[in-house]
Amino acid sequence: MPPIRDKFTIHSKAVVCQDVELKGDITVGAGTIIHPKATIFAIAGPIVIGAGCIVEEGVILVSRRKEVMRIGDDNLFEIGCRVECPSIGNFNTISARARVHHTVRISSYCVIGAACLVVPTEDEILDEYTVIYGPAAERRIWSGRGKVQEAGLRRKQAEYLKEMLPKF
Amino acid sequence: MAPSVDYYCPCLAASPHPPPPHLPSSSDSFHPLHNLFFCEECDAVRCNRCVMVEVSGYYCPNCLFEVPSASVRAEKNRCARNCFLCPNCRNTLSVVPSDPPNDGYDRMSPIVSTSLGEPPFFLYCNHCRWDSAQVDITFEKPTGLAAQLQKFEDSAPEALEFDRLKEHFEPFLRASSSSSAVTPSSSHHHSNPITAAASSALARDIPGVSKYNPLSRSRSGRDKSSHKADIPDYKARMEVGAAAGMGAGGGEADLEFMRHLETVAEVATVEQRWVNSWVSSLHTDDLKPLRIPLQSKKSKRCPSCRHILIKPEQKAQSVRYKIKLVAANYLPAISVSLPHARAALETMKRSLNRSAAQSEDQSPAAAALLAGKTYSFHISFTNPLYDPIQVRLKKAQAMPAPGTEGAGEKAKRPPFQVNLPSAAFPIAAFAEAWEYEDDEDMFGLDDDDDLDGLGRLQKDQRSKTRTVGVVEKRANVTVVAGEVILTKESRGNVKFNMLVSYTYRSDDPDPAEENAMGTPSRHASSKPPEMKNFSFYTVVDLGTIAPREETIHDTDM
Repeated sequence: MPPIRDKFTIHSKAVVCQDVELKGDITVGAGTIIHPKATIFAIAGPIVIGAGCIVEEGVILVSRRKEVMRIGDDNLFEIGCRVECPSIGNFNTISARARVHHTVRISSYCVIGAACLVVPTEDEILDEYTVIYGPAAERRIWSGRGKVQEAGLRRKQAEYLKEMLPKF
Repeated sequence: MAPSVDYYCPCLAASPHPPPPHLPSSSDSFHPLHNLFFCEECDAVRCNRCVMVEVSGYYCPNCLFEVPSASVRAEKNRCARNCFLCPNCRNTLSVVPSDPPNDGYDRMSPIVSTSLGEPPFFLYCNHCRWDSAQVDITFEKPTGLAAQLQKFEDSAPEALEFDRLKEHFEPFLRASSSSSAVTPSSSHHHSNPITAAASSALARDIPGVSKYNPLSRSRSGRDKSSHKADIPDYKARMEVGAAAGMGAGGGEADLEFMRHLETVAEVATVEQRWVNSWVSSLHTDDLKPLRIPLQSKKSKRCPSCRHILIKPEQKAQSVRYKIKLVAANYLPAISVSLPHARAALETMKRSLNRSAAQSEDQSPAAAALLAGKTYSFHISFTNPLYDPIQVRLKKAQAMPAPGTEGAGEKAKRPPFQVNLPSAAFPIAAFAEAWEYEDDEDMFGLDDDDDLDGLGRLQKDQRSKTRTVGVVEKRANVTVVAGEVILTKESRGNVKFNMLVSYTYRSDDPDPAEENAMGTPSRHASSKPPEMKNFSFYTVVDLGTIAPREETIHDTDM
């Protein structure tokens, strides 16, 4: 196996904290915040993170395929989640301690609830506005109401973090 | 399963002896210590089954508003304010404004934040993202939602039907209640003295519960009076079939819906539907937000002397109690462990270097009780009283002899023999942490117990000292060791009843003997300390016996 060559392309407006473990070919977009103690392993293929994403502590992002793992804009990865999907759209929320397998492709506006395991055995694409919740990982489709307010909230969160984190 | 100790509550039974633990019904009378209360007047253990419960107040679990008991009935046990339950996931709904209209832009638009938000408001579940706009429930104002929803609820066909039923029967109820309220229990003819006694027991006065009027029961067919002839037939507001067509549930419409089902998710689950008093529609899309049911704070009394055991504080937010007479403050806490299981766990952890959770899954194989072997177990007693106590253990019952049972009986009673220390052993009094000397290790009780147990066990094996008796004494904890000998044919759980009796010194006869506040002065002047004795039964469960592979019998299975 060829040795993993680290190549980080981080936008000047992104905030990547010092304690983050980065490995492999990683691109981070504008306005993205990566908290300390996050782990991004681009072992099999490169990872491209879009703009305005928030990656919190203890998050593990692993790329399992040779193709680029694309993560869209304005996603929120909460504490302790583990994501291995080959592609993620925009405005998703992956809640704390959730696990998403590499067989799933997440589109936009999805919400994966806390501690949910999304581990289907075959390849699957989650529709837009899918909400996965509950201990048994039940699904339903969100109507999309309130998404503008949530988008506003996410942007406010990203801006606040961008200001406060460097001061720590 | 980890070894455990449960305490026996006689529940006002005539005999104080507990049932033999191998019977499946006996698990009902044994409780863990944290579920038990202690009555000082009667000097007895009380459990949740025998204690008298009264409601001390009602509150909404969401807004923590204390509802006076008068309005509880009027509001049908629900919160009258803005608290609703999501019908999908049973989470609390929050009121949110709709999105502002200019959401065509993307990232470049400035972040609009008005404090109140725009109408129309609707209910929104944060957990599953259900919102009430799916069932067309929106509000103009974010407050006073209950009043706004009241109109919807009152105009539902079921509510109207129920109101008509009530109006129809009300004059008859009033007429018959005034005539036979004098002797409610004599309107039933009881040939059986047991049911007569039960009926009079039901009519007994219970604090906090209004008098039970048996009239509604009698109307269902046992009534022999001539009132039945006076009621005209009730005519429903609408036919049942029509009601089903409107989506109220039942009948042809449901059948059609089921035939054309596409996914299971379209049907509302039983848990989502059975909260309602009447049959509601099967569609998931029709589920309405429910008002949050009120919860009650209960106070508990001793059944014989009516002394209050538990009395919570009046405020809904506080979880403390004004009166708290729990058994854990009076009885020593007992826990049992198998040292060889712990040793197996340690070696597994060290050798495989995995996390504790994983090794615990695999250790049952190594730590199980094998038939035909002898195991020692450690019982640790923690003294909650401020005085030292002397504890004596005794086996409660002899186990039945093995092998000589009838041919039809299953070998469900595991024959084993238990040796317990017979001498009385003292346990030191409970004192605050800073009162102990530094070198006495009080913290990390379990870890030290672990290593100590290991250390002692190895010493025992090396030096062959007695395995039954006091193992160690530390702070207010004493650990004793016992032995269990399993025969080759034993099966099932190793459970035995143990009688624990302890004597403690009580300074004064008032029911404050364990709070040794100001006792030195009182002790010197008042009567000499008397030794009080208390005993209780426990059941010790050491786990299940794993049969050895060579001795698996295929008889009586």
